[in-house]
Amino acid sequence: MSLAWRRTLLPLLRNPLGLLGLFLTLLVLLGALLAPLLAPYDPVRQDILARLSGPTGSHWLGTDQFGRDLLSRILFGFRNSLLVAFSSVLIAVVVGTLLGVSAAYVGGRYDRAVMRLMDVLLAFPIILLAIGIIAMLGPSQWNAALAIGVVYIPTFARLTRGPALVVRNTDYVQAAVAIGAGNRRVILRHILPNLASVILVQTTLALSTAILVESSLAFLGLGTQPPNPSLGQMLSEGRPYLTLSPWTSVFSGLAILVASLGFNLLGDTLRDTLDPRLRGH
Amino acid sequence: MNGRWFGLLAALLLAMGWSLAQNPVRGGTLQIGADASPSGLDPHVATAFASFIVTGQIYEGLTEIDERLRPRPALAESWSVSSDGLTYTFRIRSGVTFHDGKAMTAGDIAFSINRVRDTKTGSPIASRINLVKDVKATSATQLVVELSQPFAPMLIELAGIAVMSEDYVKAGNDMQRRPMGTGPFAFKEWVPDTYILLERNARYWRQGRPYLDALRYNIVPDPATRQVGLASGTYQFLPNIDPSLAVTLRTTPNVKLITAQDLAYTLIGMNASRKPFDNPRVREALNYAINRSQIVQAVYFGNGAPAGPLGLRSWASPQGAFPCYNTNANKAKELLAQAGYANGVDFGMIVIGSNKTVVDAAQVVQQQLAQAGFRAKVEVLEQGKFIQEWRNSNFDTFASINGGNADPDGYLFRTFSTGGSTNVFKYSSPTVDRLLNQGRTTVSEEARRPIYARLQLELACQGPIAHLVYGTLFSAARENVQGFKPIPTRSLIYLRDTWLAR
Amino acid sequence: MIAFLFKRSLDLLFVLFGVSVLVFLMIRLIPGDAVEIMLGANTEITPEGLAALREKLGLNKPIFVQYWDWLTAALRGDLGQSVWTGRPISEEIVQRLPITLELTVLSLVIAIGLAIPVGVLTAYWRNSSAEYLIRLVSITGVTLPSFWLGTLLIFLVFKLAPGWQTLGYVPFAQDPWGHLSRLVLPVITLSLPMLAGLGRVLRSSLLDVLNQDFIRTARSKGLAERTVLYKHALRNAMIPLVTVIGIQVGYLFGGAIVVEQVFAIPGMGRLILGAISERNYPLIQGAILLVTMTFVLINLLVDLVYAKLDPRVEYA
Repeated sequence: MSLAWRRTLLPLLRNPLGLLGLFLTLLVLLGALLAPLLAPYDPVRQDILARLSGPTGSHWLGTDQFGRDLLSRILFGFRNSLLVAFSSVLIAVVVGTLLGVSAAYVGGRYDRAVMRLMDVLLAFPIILLAIGIIAMLGPSQWNAALAIGVVYIPTFARLTRGPALVVRNTDYVQAAVAIGAGNRRVILRHILPNLASVILVQTTLALSTAILVESSLAFLGLGTQPPNPSLGQMLSEGRPYLTLSPWTSVFSGLAILVASLGFNLLGDTLRDTLDPRLRGH
Repeated sequence: MNGRWFGLLAALLLAMGWSLAQNPVRGGTLQIGADASPSGLDPHVATAFASFIVTGQIYEGLTEIDERLRPRPALAESWSVSSDGLTYTFRIRSGVTFHDGKAMTAGDIAFSINRVRDTKTGSPIASRINLVKDVKATSATQLVVELSQPFAPMLIELAGIAVMSEDYVKAGNDMQRRPMGTGPFAFKEWVPDTYILLERNARYWRQGRPYLDALRYNIVPDPATRQVGLASGTYQFLPNIDPSLAVTLRTTPNVKLITAQDLAYTLIGMNASRKPFDNPRVREALNYAINRSQIVQAVYFGNGAPAGPLGLRSWASPQGAFPCYNTNANKAKELLAQAGYANGVDFGMIVIGSNKTVVDAAQVVQQQLAQAGFRAKVEVLEQGKFIQEWRNSNFDTFASINGGNADPDGYLFRTFSTGGSTNVFKYSSPTVDRLLNQGRTTVSEEARRPIYARLQLELACQGPIAHLVYGTLFSAARENVQGFKPIPTRSLIYLRDTWLAR
Repeated sequence: MIAFLFKRSLDLLFVLFGVSVLVFLMIRLIPGDAVEIMLGANTEITPEGLAALREKLGLNKPIFVQYWDWLTAALRGDLGQSVWTGRPISEEIVQRLPITLELTVLSLVIAIGLAIPVGVLTAYWRNSSAEYLIRLVSITGVTLPSFWLGTLLIFLVFKLAPGWQTLGYVPFAQDPWGHLSRLVLPVITLSLPMLAGLGRVLRSSLLDVLNQDFIRTARSKGLAERTVLYKHALRNAMIPLVTVIGIQVGYLFGGAIVVEQVFAIPGMGRLILGAISERNYPLIQGAILLVTMTFVLINLLVDLVYAKLDPRVEYA
């Protein structure tokens, strides 16, 4: 582990909120990865006689309107929601960083064109742009992922361009260029590693919002469609039964909360430990 | 013990006193919670319930359909049919005025029927009255309709044709935005996505009706919001709600549920022009695999009945007549094997996403089918996309809901006849075609019965539609909403008899 | 200042141009035939209907001509007509935009009001368990799905105060009290998630300011900590808050779409969602264009206010 990483991670473990974030994130990630092993039931198996029950010995978190086991559905729901969140953020990180770093590196007209385009995309309110994209492509899980991804591209492009510009103009990069290192080598070896921590912070925070945006889109009927369990869609499916059996709604709401909160706390603490102004005192 | 008896007696007396002493009172605005905003209010082109629950108060037809699904006089006072069944002569009610004060005449009715028939109008009702040859107003109070063939459901279909003022339409008024008819309520105001306000038609021809001063349709898309809105008294009436919402409202204080049997039914449609559903055995196997009573329990919370091809009580054959309604997964597998699919079949199922009951039913059916080797890949589509795929016959199977019709021909002919306007399954059977034509051109009800019994047998197990469930039609209202009666077609004509107890 | 305004306006023009191009292209980028998809929501479709709608939307002209026609009409305030109702789109939007604006502005004001104590307390109680608790609560606010929070609030209020009208919308002129009482829950639902973002900006800028010389001077003069905080530190620390308001307004517009659906409020969100479900593309275009322009203008305003407040901002 390099020194930079140690400096990032150690304060994280010392901060109770960071620790909580790390714990929740690991919990959610493990739940998603091991869902087939952990889930006590098939998440789509129906048992009408046991429907809308509260927590019992056989169904720890109760059941939904078809008598499907809520715990199993939440575990598989983590899987689907994280899949959408990760793919959307991956799109945003890869495309955004590529645009930001190349703009800084190439400069000139290309730089101005790219950044202006980012300005335009940033001019749209986030959910509105996502809704607009889905309105064109039709509602589905992957279109939601694509839409959320596009929405976050400018964030990463802007975030990486500044530091990349600074790094590019440092002596050692200039020196590397002078001794004939190729563009790819300079970007991969010198520029990107220096941006890693900024990207890391923004990625965790974006994951947190992506989970929320996905659930909002599912609520509006524009995201994941049934019978696939996604957290947002489970929550909106359970809402009509709130008075009859609050459990479905409460637990799936809590599941979204836990997933989103974990990433947010993690990102928030990372940002603190990485922000030189806030460190020390 | 005594005390309890006394209390019960008092409650009983109170309840009796309540119902005896309460005569309808005039006045008040009924706050209605509607689930969707209509896209337009021209009843000749509308297709959505969201439009009809509003236009049904503004317009009337020559006839109207009562709660027993029989046609009865409305703007027509009486009628006679020639012995060959080709000429209908209507005596038009006099003294009826439009909301703008102008008198309604037979000419307006002829104009309205012709507006529906005109291809430029693009009316979905046009194909239903395609046997009409000519419409003439012979005087201000007499209308003659000529048919090219006898057409048994004529009087029922006429109930669906709203009568507009010829002058008003020809003056260029936008009928989608400013509707005007002869009904108990007149259009007042429409704030999109917020509310539609109708006010009492003081000149209404039914004496003393309506009781209410106004109807306000509040547009509330979220079911949980409608639920709280009714419970808290913000809204007083929720027409035609989902069974799941009805179940949650059942225990709410000061709220009552008003029920009728719904003519609308959930269904699985199969594409008869694609493998594997081109094979009648496969369609029969699918019927064997479905457990309809389980769907009634799971989706309708017990409030519904397994559906045969006809839901009309007076026409439906007993389900004992359909062997495939005895759920049997092994029999289904056997039939699949006979059809050459011993290892089961994989296929897609598109689902109309705007209807919660259908989405729920599709999930239950998917599970049931899986046990008999039918592996359905369920895809829930947004309404516009669904209808597009449906119309273009671009599906293996679909799950949807159909509104019913008060006459068997109204549903069966357009759905199952070769080239029928909603035969998206590309189903074609000479036997069925022959029976369908016989059924619609035979006027005597007694003679029609055996024809439709045969048709139901032909269609129940091997037809392109597996009919699932006729639900219970629920409306929910505050306790003080009185006088409303539901109709299986989901029309709300009895809002004119509805009043608010103080 | 003049030069700054000029440069800022040029930027603005460019962004608005870009926005208009993107919004315009939306309808042309739909996979498949947009017109057929639009008519998909209607069960009966005729070839004449298809051709008429294509003509009405001008889709049979070259794309640059289409854009030019659309843009010049839009600049005159004519966004076309709603496909199904024939109502002018700008008229529909003008009715809805004020409702959404009121909702967002009120939520913003409340959120800033709440963010001040959060920021101050977390800055003063740095690394104490009290700070962690406040931060945990405010971050939880961000990660609560707003449609869930809204529904829970509706049910909660219904259980506790069944007489309170929480749903729908009444114009202020018609019933001021009913208007405001219906806004309470939506505003809470919208402002809670902003608390953490605003609170954290205030906290870090406050920490910055508290370390600066003039505060040390003030303290060494023996001024009470309360005076130092309110008279000197807070006033300066509030300035960076202005910069994030622009971003927050964007979140608010998004949040309003969801909240309007839950509370049955007839604002822009309902308009847009309704337009999507009936495939009313010209209406979607018009609504997105207008909301985005409002958002851009608010950001410009924020920049100007910031430049006015903070003498360190260069005008060049």
